[in-house]
Amino acid sequence: MQEKAEIRSKYWLAVFLVAAYTIPFAVGIYTENVFFDLQWLADLTTVILNGIMQGGVYAMFAVGLTLIFGVMRIINVAHGELVMLGAYLTWMFFFYVGVDPLLALFITLPIAFIIGLLIQKLLLNAVVGGPELTPLLITFGMGLTIIHIVEAIFTTDYRTIPYAPDAFQLTETIAVSRSKIISFVMAAFISITVFIFLKIHRIGKAIRATAQNADVAMVCGINIFHIYMITSGLAAALAVAGGALVSIQFGFNPETGVLYTLQAFAIIVLGGRGHYIGALIGGVMLAVIESLISFMIPNGTAMVEIASYGMMVFVLLIRPRGLMGPKEN
Amino acid sequence: MKKSFIMILGFALALTAAPFVEKSHAMDKVTLGIAISQTGRYAEPAGRMVNSYKLYVDQVNAGKGWNGKKIDFTILDDKSDKQTSIKLYEKLITQDKVNLTIGPYSSGITDAVANVLERYKYPTMAPGASSGIIWKKGRKYLFNIIAVAQDYQKGAVHIARDIGVKRIAIIGEDSLFPRQSAEGAVDWAKKLGLKVVLNENYPRKQTDFTALLQKIKARRAEAIISNSYFADAAAQIRQLRELNINMKIFAGTVGPGLPKFAKQLGDTAEYVLGFSQWEPKPEILKRPGMRAFIAAYEKRYGAKPNYHAGQSYASLQIFGDAVAKAGSADRDKVWKTLRTMKTTTIIGPWKVDDTNLNQHEGLTFQILDGQRKIVWPKKISEVPYKLPMPNWKDRGKN
Amino acid sequence: MAQNEHLRNFGMLAILIIILCALPSNINLYQRSVIMFTMMYVVLSLSWNIISGYTGYVSFGHVMFYGIGAYATGILVVDYGWHWIPTLFVGVFVSFVVSLIIGFPVLRLKGPYFAIAMLGAAEGTRVVATVWEDLTHGGEGIGLPNIENSFETYFAMLVVMLVTIIVSYWVGHSRFGIRLNAIREDEIAAESLGINSTFYKLFAFALSAIFPAAAGGIQAYKVLYIDPETEFFILVTIYMKLFAMFGGKGTVIGPILGTFVLYIVQEITWVKFPTAHLIAFGVFIVLVARFMPRGLMGFAIDKGWARKGMVH
Repeated sequence: MQEKAEIRSKYWLAVFLVAAYTIPFAVGIYTENVFFDLQWLADLTTVILNGIMQGGVYAMFAVGLTLIFGVMRIINVAHGELVMLGAYLTWMFFFYVGVDPLLALFITLPIAFIIGLLIQKLLLNAVVGGPELTPLLITFGMGLTIIHIVEAIFTTDYRTIPYAPDAFQLTETIAVSRSKIISFVMAAFISITVFIFLKIHRIGKAIRATAQNADVAMVCGINIFHIYMITSGLAAALAVAGGALVSIQFGFNPETGVLYTLQAFAIIVLGGRGHYIGALIGGVMLAVIESLISFMIPNGTAMVEIASYGMMVFVLLIRPRGLMGPKEN
Repeated sequence: MKKSFIMILGFALALTAAPFVEKSHAMDKVTLGIAISQTGRYAEPAGRMVNSYKLYVDQVNAGKGWNGKKIDFTILDDKSDKQTSIKLYEKLITQDKVNLTIGPYSSGITDAVANVLERYKYPTMAPGASSGIIWKKGRKYLFNIIAVAQDYQKGAVHIARDIGVKRIAIIGEDSLFPRQSAEGAVDWAKKLGLKVVLNENYPRKQTDFTALLQKIKARRAEAIISNSYFADAAAQIRQLRELNINMKIFAGTVGPGLPKFAKQLGDTAEYVLGFSQWEPKPEILKRPGMRAFIAAYEKRYGAKPNYHAGQSYASLQIFGDAVAKAGSADRDKVWKTLRTMKTTTIIGPWKVDDTNLNQHEGLTFQILDGQRKIVWPKKISEVPYKLPMPNWKDRGKN
Repeated sequence: MAQNEHLRNFGMLAILIIILCALPSNINLYQRSVIMFTMMYVVLSLSWNIISGYTGYVSFGHVMFYGIGAYATGILVVDYGWHWIPTLFVGVFVSFVVSLIIGFPVLRLKGPYFAIAMLGAAEGTRVVATVWEDLTHGGEGIGLPNIENSFETYFAMLVVMLVTIIVSYWVGHSRFGIRLNAIREDEIAAESLGINSTFYKLFAFALSAIFPAAAGGIQAYKVLYIDPETEFFILVTIYMKLFAMFGGKGTVIGPILGTFVLYIVQEITWVKFPTAHLIAFGVFIVLVARFMPRGLMGFAIDKGWARKGMVH
């Protein structure tokens, strides 16, 4: 009986995803936005490639969210604000000290790790395992505080970092932005490093053990509160790294974080909550859908946001496990 | 238990009473009130306007005042929020009982607040609003100063026709002002026989325009008319470069006019067109009092004023003239004077028609060597425009 | 509950009504507006409280219904020339239908998933309001005709507030409310006792959706210009939540008290410290959630200042 429901939900998810990818094409053909000549196909390829690059960065900060969720069953609503904070940190080092945004990671990541550690120690350790809503509200309030502190210091002006402004010409007609390629490579590198750390290193194994069953981990002599703090620090570092990569591509202001939280959440819902690889795949999938909507549907850019909200709501309803998440209990 | 409960209620009521203490004003002052965004998303342009207001008030108070009376200036913060703004104007009018009011920043908030001002018959200058629709509702007390949004892209579309562009794409943020500006651009394109191949809006928070720009390229547009603010315009021109998409014209509205546009984007910002109500260039615009204002502003704030600063200063000049001509700060008299008065400010001549619209003409500039140079209308152009924009590949070579 | 306790509670309500009825002609426009908006937030936080306080399903997207109400009024008054009062009922009805359509699937989600799905739903509604230009005028917004009368909106809001208070009181004191509480404490156990939890949750959700719609409609008529960005502004949900939590969620008096205290406090403080007050709000949410999860009323009960029964 349960098996059957399981399989059915898998099919529904497949149907949903196929629909999500084909609807932009269908609407595009219907509204004559699709031409199918060589020039247009090159444009489409560009859009998809840029989407994939974008997805890499989405994936990276989604991974942080999924890590916290997997280990502590907490949804950190302030995750996007940490991304935003990362962008500002990078901007500060770039403008006041003159450090290259990527080199700045060596300074910002340890700072982020400590911020994450402190948040966990001061606010969240006491509420892990309690009612699920308390941490949700706490992180929410924290996010609000971060936004307005940053706003008090930097005002609401959009900031940008001029970085690698040129195009990388793949072929005569297909160009990908250089800053996007750099971001993608960095994102892939950092995500894979963290993944290997989780698989191989002693602490990484302890984190995974805690994620599987905190009680058993505790019995095995793991100090789960230390693990919580390390996880939180790691997640904050991933968010801040995401912020650094966002900052070299786009403008940002204190309010942009909210959008990233929602995107990251949509991604981990799709990928499967707490599932590392799932988040990576989900990130790329979401970004590509967003690009397709914007490219082919008339006035599509105004509808892009629907992609993540729709994805979130539908996947939660059809198959709460997402693509590869663990079974609900 | 009962007692403590009554105590709690009493506490709540005591708090309720606190904002209700009315201010009383000395009669030897003219009170002037404004609620404008000091925090929130409009804080930046609104901040420049506040600078100008403070400068003007201090200048007048140091001198003769308005009809010999000093100005008592109240500034409140509307958090860039409409509901708050309405409440604040109600506060200014019914609680602080100011003599005259100045409008808030942004067309949306002004449209909302104008109703309150209208009801209480407060003649109000609106240097922060440019959407023509605000004056199409039969309002009598709100006075326009600057060119309406529909004319922001007039120059760009004319230039596009002059250099032989046939297909243009119009994009813009999805809110009142950019959409009015887009509407104007569509009208001008129709009048001048240009084909609009794409007319789309994007949400306020949009930062990634890759797909939209690629779509514009797929439609084979030759020029982009972007009805945008700072962040979106900067992102668009930058991403055009990153995608190596070549356009003959890229015309922004508010964004390119801000000094940080050229500063942050460097050579990417070159050749971009933008619109301005006014530029701090006394040798070309030749308005009376410009030099003194620019010098005073620069001395106090360490930067040249932009058009937000100029138009807000002008709005107080107009009020000053009206108060002088009316002989008092009585609202009805000031209003009657404003309706018929003719005056000249640092941004140009001012006289309203029946719908309270002033015929201010803006200007189109181009960023050349990091400087804004007026290129349109021809009679006040500093230099001839350099268009079409060179291909990204060919830039930096010469 | 004792009969006389009901009587006393209604007596207090009657005093409140008399004060609020006597006030408007004695105060100025600004003061009327402040009280009007305070009453609006009482409606909003009490409504949020019906679903989130009693059943424990914390909604992060209740602004959705407020926005729907505002748009119903805006569209009908401007494009169809209706009088504004009947439009409130249309808004309420639309909101009711939408709440059923959305509530049925979304209420199957638990805890944080419900919270975030509601956030997604609210943001999604905002995008729809932006994109569906034929109906909503898109991002350009709707400007309503300038015929607002601050007395009309004041008393309309007063009526809506009274209805909300009475319904909340009824929910708190009826079998229905007890069942909602049972769902909050342990949904599976409640179901095993024969409580049809889906039905009760959905009913509570629909109840909590209709009052914000009415409040949103009145508000639209008051501010006279609406656009998607501000009518579906996430901050409105934050206020609802914060006011209710601060006062004490799951009670009737809590949200009322929380709104009166906090809204007025911010009304006084933001004039002086525009940015600081928003920072303080964030810190406040953290502190309330962490140290005072049951709010002022919970505190009062613990101290023995109020009896537990009185607040339900």
